[in-house]
Parts: sequence; C-alpha cells; structure tokens
Amino acid sequence: MVALVIALALFFDFTNGFHDTANAMATPIATGAIKPKTAVALAAVLNLVGAFLSTEVAKTVSGGIIKEGSDGVQITPDIIFAGLMGAILWNMITWLKGLPSSSSHALFGGLIGAAIAGIGIHSINFESLMQKVILPAIFAPIIAGGVAYLCTRLAYALTSRHDPESGTKLTQKRGGFRTGQIFTSSLVALAHGTNDAQKTMGIITLVLIAAGTQEPGTGPQFWVIASCAFAIAIGTYSGGWRIIRTMGSGLTEVKPAQGFAAESSTASAILASSHLGFALSTTQVASGSVIGSGMGRRGTTVRWGTAGRIALGWLFTLPAAGIVGALTALLVMTGVVGVIIAAAAGTAAVLYMFLYSKKSHVGHHNAVAVEEAGQAVRFRKKKKKAMSASTAKDEPKGEL
Amino acid sequence: MKWLELVQVAGATLVAAVTVVVLYSLGVRLTAIAGDVTEQKPAWLRPLAYVCFGLCGAAVLFGLYLIIPYFGG
Repeated sequence: MVALVIALALFFDFTNGFHDTANAMATPIATGAIKPKTAVALAAVLNLVGAFLSTEVAKTVSGGIIKEGSDGVQITPDIIFAGLMGAILWNMITWLKGLPSSSSHALFGGLIGAAIAGIGIHSINFESLMQKVILPAIFAPIIAGGVAYLCTRLAYALTSRHDPESGTKLTQKRGGFRTGQIFTSSLVALAHGTNDAQKTMGIITLVLIAAGTQEPGTGPQFWVIASCAFAIAIGTYSGGWRIIRTMGSGLTEVKPAQGFAAESSTASAILASSHLGFALSTTQVASGSVIGSGMGRRGTTVRWGTAGRIALGWLFTLPAAGIVGALTALLVMTGVVGVIIAAAAGTAAVLYMFLYSKKSHVGHHNAVAVEEAGQAVRFRKKKKKAMSASTAKDEPKGEL
Repeated sequence: MKWLELVQVAGATLVAAVTVVVLYSLGVRLTAIAGDVTEQKPAWLRPLAYVCFGLCGAAVLFGLYLIIPYFGG
C-alpha cells in the first residue's frame, strides 16, 4: 500500500508539473520570447532546481486542515491514496478542458473528501480550511492582478516616447522586454519548483511517517526530494499545451512589456507568499497576473468569458476532487479488492482521457499561434490616431 | 484570521514587482534613447541603462537570497 501511494504521489507530481507549465511559460511563448520547446525545457530544469532549493513548504503540507496527530485522528495511507486519486483525476479533466486550475486545491479537495468519507466530518478543521484554502483563493488573483495592472501601467508609462516638439509618438523600442521575459518567466518556473514539488514531498513523508518507516517530525528524506523534483521536471517538460493555449492567448493578447510585468508580479507573489507563510496557489496568481496586465494596457480586451470559465473551474476544483476522493475512500475501505478496483478504475480513467486528448492534439506546434498573437491586436475602431501610433509601437518586434 | 500576513504578502509582492519592473523599464527606455541616431545625446546614457539592468538583476538576486534558507535568509 505504501509503495502504491508513493507511486501515485509521484504521478500526481507529474500531472502537477505539466498542468502548471503554463503558469511560467505561457506568456513568453505567446510573445515569441522563447521557442515553445526551449521554454518547457527551461521550465523543467528550473523546476528541478527549485525543488531542491527549499523544503520549507513540505513540512506543513496538509497544514492542519485534517486534524492529524495524537489528539486528532490517525491519517492512514488509504486516505491519502484516495485523496491523491481525486486530485489526479481532476487535474486530468481540467487539462483536457484547457483550464488552468490549482493543483494544490485538487490535492486538498481530494484529501478532504477522502477524510470525510473515511473518518468523518469531524476530521476536518474548517477554520484552518477557510484560512489556508478559501481566503487565499479569493485574494491570490486580486493581489496578483492588481500588482500586474500597476506594473503594466508603469512599464508602458516609463517607456512611452513622444517627440518633445511635435508630440507625435516616436518608435517605442520596447523590444528589450522580450529579453527580460526570459528571466522573469524563469523566475516563475523556479518559484513553482520551490512551491509545488514540496506538496508531493510532504505527502510522501506523511505516508512514510504513517507507515512507521520514518520518525515523526523529521523533514523529507533525500530520495523523496530527488524523486519529486524529477517527477515535476518531467511533467513540466511534457508540457500542458492545452493550458498554455488558454493562458497565452485565450485570456488576452500578451505583448512583451505586459508579459514582463505579469511574470514579475507572479514570481514576486509566489515567492513572497511561500516565504511569508500565506500560501497562494501558483495557478491562481498567474491567471490573475495575466488578466491584470491585460487590463493595464490600453486597447487590449480581456476575454471575460474565458476568465469566467476558469473561475468556475476553480469553484468546482475543491468539491469535485473531494467527491472523487470520497468515493475512492469508500471503495478502499472495503478491503484489498476495493483497492485493486480503485487503482484499476483510476488507471483506466487516466488512460481514457489521454487517448481522448489524442483526438484533438494540441502540441508545441499549435499551442499558440505566435504571429497571430503578435499582430492581430484588437484596437477600438474609433481611435484611428492611436491605431497608427500603435503600429509604430509594434515595429521593434521585427528588428529583433 | 491572518490579515496581517495577507497584507504583508500583498505589500511584499507590490514592492518586489514594482522595483523590478521600474528598473527594467528605465533600462529599456534609456537603451532606446541611446539608440536614437538623430539626437545629440550625452554619452552616459547607455552605461546608465546598463546600470538599471544591473540593479534590476541585483534586486532579483537579493530577493532570492532572502528566500533560500541555504543562505541563512
């Protein structure tokens, strides 16, 4: 059972990686700053490095949401198995739909559902749930979006060039932002590694402690850190192209300066939050930043329909993963046969979704139409003057 | 509730992101001015642009230094 859970946890880590490639790499791919293949490779390496950098988060993974420990309930590998099942299935479904949803929420949802079904509703610490999951979910996009909005305005204000005499717009020469994007998106990938690989490490450590092979209160062992780091890196490299498409061109058209501002905000928010102990979801921060930067540049439209679809996906993440987790927990409780049925059903479901995805293949070649995203920027018709000025603004792209 | 921590995170995010973006934007702006062929311009423009990029990089590295526990941050 322990081995099964560890395998499942590593697979969750893998889905987490490829689900979240988009957070770091969607905007630079959309602006053409980095080639898609290079981008995911870069993200994979940085995730790997990030996972080794800090294991602070790993120590507080379930974070008291489920009352474990001596005075609470005993959390068993069965419960964790069920929870992981819920998380993985939800991750696969949202990936199929191209929705950037929070992998951590899926994990929490699955664990909560499994704990309720397996132990009872009293096992959940609702105050902690509110504090660690619900509130951050509301504030993450707001904080990131607000900061990204401000940064985008600043970046454009600081680099807008007018002729002092005639007042006409000069060539804006904002090409430098594209180079900058390489660095900021790398930072996001690094932040993601320090943050998200930790969750799986925490889970495996939890299992090892529950199984009695590791002393309670100790940090993750080295082989756990290493395997989690590699699982998330491989996942990242596989690339969730569907989600990259949504984030890169589905929400708003992204320009280099916007992308730079959005990524700076995302990286700052993730690093600040994981360091100061108010954990925010990487995905929600990144989506918020992209929307914020879309609002910050005049003339761009944010597709609120897509944004709404994503928000709806977030709302469903916790309960949906919870229900799968709960069902799996009920199955597992029946004994060995139940475990086998649950494992087989889970594998079958994942396989089915994978095969289904092959029907409409989204790969690095068609994830984001770069030329289209760069040129087909929508400007409001009444602003004829702004339009010609903006085309001048776009020119430096060709020079690079 | 951890309102204080929330405000802290929001503040830190704002300060960090604005620092990076402002410095980098200034760098981009100065490079652009330095690249203009027509105008008469002082010679320190381009070095100043590099200083901005450098400061921006330093700010990022300082942030990482604060965060990574290995360095005792």
